[in-house]
Amino acid sequence: MSRPGRSSELAEVPRPGPVPRLRLGRPTQTVLANGVEVVVVARPSVPRVELRLTVPAGAAVGTSAAASELLRSGILLGTKKLNQEEVSESIQRLGGSLQIQQDQDRLHLSASALAEAEEDLYQLICSIATQPAFPSEELETERVKLIEGLRIARATPQFLAGEQLQQLIYGSHPYGRPEPGETAIHKTTRRQLQSLHRATFRPIAAQLTVVGDVNPRRTVAWLSRVFGTWAGPRRALKVPRVRPKVQPQITFIDRPGLVQTVILIGASGPPVGHPDQIPLALASAVLGGSFSSRLMANLREDKGYAYRVHTMSEAHLRDSLLGAELDVRTEVTAPAFVELAYELGRLATVEVEPEELQESQNYLAGVRVIVLQTQAGLASSLSQVRGYGLDHRYLEEYSDRLAAVTPAELRRVVARYLAPANLTTVMVGDAGQAAEELSRVAPVRVQGRPRPKGA
Amino acid sequence: MAKRTSSAGPHLRRVRLKNGLDVVLSSERSSPTVAVGVYYRAGFRLEEEGRTGFAHLFEHLMFQGTSKVPKADFGQLITGAGGVLNGSTRHDYTNYFEILPAPALEMACFIEADRMQNLDINQETLQNQIDVVKEEVRGNVLNQPYGGFSWLWLSQYAFSTYPNAHNFYGEFADLEAATVADARGFYETWYGPGNATLVLVGDFEEEQALEVVERYFGPVPARRAPTQPEMDEPIPSSRAEHERRDPLAPNPRVAIGYRTAPFGSPDHLPLVLAARILTDGRSSRLQRRLIREREVLLQVDGGPHFPIGDAFEFKGPALFTFEAMPRPGVTTKEAVAAIDEQLAEVAEAGPNPDELLRAKRRELGSYHASTDSRVGRMRELGVLASVHDQPELADQLPELLSKITAKQVQQAVARWLFPEHSTVLHWLPEGEGER
Repeated sequence: MSRPGRSSELAEVPRPGPVPRLRLGRPTQTVLANGVEVVVVARPSVPRVELRLTVPAGAAVGTSAAASELLRSGILLGTKKLNQEEVSESIQRLGGSLQIQQDQDRLHLSASALAEAEEDLYQLICSIATQPAFPSEELETERVKLIEGLRIARATPQFLAGEQLQQLIYGSHPYGRPEPGETAIHKTTRRQLQSLHRATFRPIAAQLTVVGDVNPRRTVAWLSRVFGTWAGPRRALKVPRVRPKVQPQITFIDRPGLVQTVILIGASGPPVGHPDQIPLALASAVLGGSFSSRLMANLREDKGYAYRVHTMSEAHLRDSLLGAELDVRTEVTAPAFVELAYELGRLATVEVEPEELQESQNYLAGVRVIVLQTQAGLASSLSQVRGYGLDHRYLEEYSDRLAAVTPAELRRVVARYLAPANLTTVMVGDAGQAAEELSRVAPVRVQGRPRPKGA
Repeated sequence: MAKRTSSAGPHLRRVRLKNGLDVVLSSERSSPTVAVGVYYRAGFRLEEEGRTGFAHLFEHLMFQGTSKVPKADFGQLITGAGGVLNGSTRHDYTNYFEILPAPALEMACFIEADRMQNLDINQETLQNQIDVVKEEVRGNVLNQPYGGFSWLWLSQYAFSTYPNAHNFYGEFADLEAATVADARGFYETWYGPGNATLVLVGDFEEEQALEVVERYFGPVPARRAPTQPEMDEPIPSSRAEHERRDPLAPNPRVAIGYRTAPFGSPDHLPLVLAARILTDGRSSRLQRRLIREREVLLQVDGGPHFPIGDAFEFKGPALFTFEAMPRPGVTTKEAVAAIDEQLAEVAEAGPNPDELLRAKRRELGSYHASTDSRVGRMRELGVLASVHDQPELADQLPELLSKITAKQVQQAVARWLFPEHSTVLHWLPEGEGER
């Protein structure tokens, strides 16, 4: 599994030139009188338009997980003028789509339409976002859907591991909040949802991103007219600071009968835009970001312990959750953990070869170009970074920043954030089969079935 | 970024090399990226008895290096060029693809041509990948609630002959029994240039790209063209009901698979629209009537070849599948009866004009979205060229679909989506509950 040098037998392989530089042109930007921030990029690759509308939510609003989840699905239940079927019909007539997602800091409405229906799209999305009806009867069905969905999630080992890891690292901060319990979903009232909606959907920090086959000046005029009348509180919301913790023991959630152990490690890292963030993205790529990464080469391609092996990074406004996940057959839980710790320790203490670093620099630069090739990819990426207070220049300058990272810097950031001593580990599996051997490697705390809090 | 000049849709070119390799090119210059895909006409269905799961296991071996590019270098070449790579095994094809910055086109062609002729098949990597595939099956099937529901299981009940009804992921005993000789034979038989389609989509000049293709793929020796095994089998004439118990599943679910209209038959495209009308969004028939109005279901989805493909993915017999989750207190049997009733109504009266219009608009929107993505377009062209020999259909579909009438949809639903054509799989939590 050691990395071979570029052997002479590869001499025949034609090598590509450098990854092309990304140019996004100059987006058209404006801020409406009510505070809505607008960015429009003309990208006429196909006759469509992509819209992203995001508002601070989740940690910024600080409400219960139940209310937050119900707000997300409740918005699709219709407006004062259109019921939920009519909303869906309207989107379909535009040849478009509509999804709502929520991350730890913002709520994202992602919509699209055929370019010819651009103006209609804006009117529709504005009314969905600002005039939801939350009809009582339909809300009851959403509660049942949510509860049943969460029962399934809680039967899924990866979900359990993720929820536990967040709680251990973030404690009582909103980022550590578990998914809602059944009682809380039932107890959340329609009135609470309406007030949460008013608190969340305020124009002051709302961001609109439009990418597609559009005329930016005309698009800005339409957006100003449609979203300009949206009123709400003038004060912007703040996300509390995080005080992440490290749990030195392995938390092992016992689910007798599982045939694999899900191993999840994580630590709090810097937010997007922090100087350490890009070196860490490279570290994460070297470790487990691709088919040829170290964890993949060792745990999968050499030992055959696992199929799923990868690192991850979940961006937040206040920090980021860095980590790695692997699913291994129960019998090799301890040896797999040993290899994982070895690879992390090695990256924290031994500099990577410049060639391996270069490979990851090219990889991340290339993936960025690939993601931004589509209207949808550009709209989502731009909308995401705007949520962290950055703009298109962050996307354009990304490859230069990658190229500037040195092996010494990479080792430094891994030692600071991702070395084994900084990590919290959660496993979900059959503790009766795996925990004893594991406890010879590291301290283990076995938990029975986790009970969701009523939060 | 120039606006596309042609209103005739994106450009398409198709050539065949002397060794039989089918080549499809679509030059798309709106971003500096390319997708390179190789589609082999070798899917699950041609696995031999005693070798279930072999097509997918073999897919893994294609990432294990060649006599020119050792295993450890293989992935590094792609990632080091700023690209991503993957592969997937399906019923009637297996694909391998890279999406990369445009300058890496030549390297990708080298790599694909190399693994078409110089694959390093040995005991060590075979054993390693048997272990990895077993972990894939554990992770995706055995260690998840609803693992493999419904794609892996429904076809095992719905079909009666081995090619269509075996375990596509593979019985562990069969995976473990796979030998180097099996792999070499499979490679020799199914992975020759005459059994493959190469698709290039993205930022290149057509003539230059063709030169590169000829340079690397031209010298790949031709192999004897394989004969695809017979896959057709009789359509069921009465509904069959089966059940499986899942120790991890908290609630029941149900899948109904109807034998569906063959590709190219008059009912084929109308059923693409029928899938939209029946299950797409909260305004669809099944969601509107059964989730909201009658409060029988919490979730319902479906379509041709659902959930792992679409109406164009298959050549042999295939299913139009619905998957549903009943509301607590409703049995899977009641859920099936409710779906039957809705289908009967469409079979009787057809869709209304607005339903039909919306389905067409959604298809048009998704055609453009897919064309905007190099991989999206590569997939469409790859499947249509390799499985059906009709890549040009990709750009004709929106118009063909726009001409379909309500009556055609009604007739297609009436001819295919009725109970006697179907197999029902009740997926129940372990324990007492009834279906």
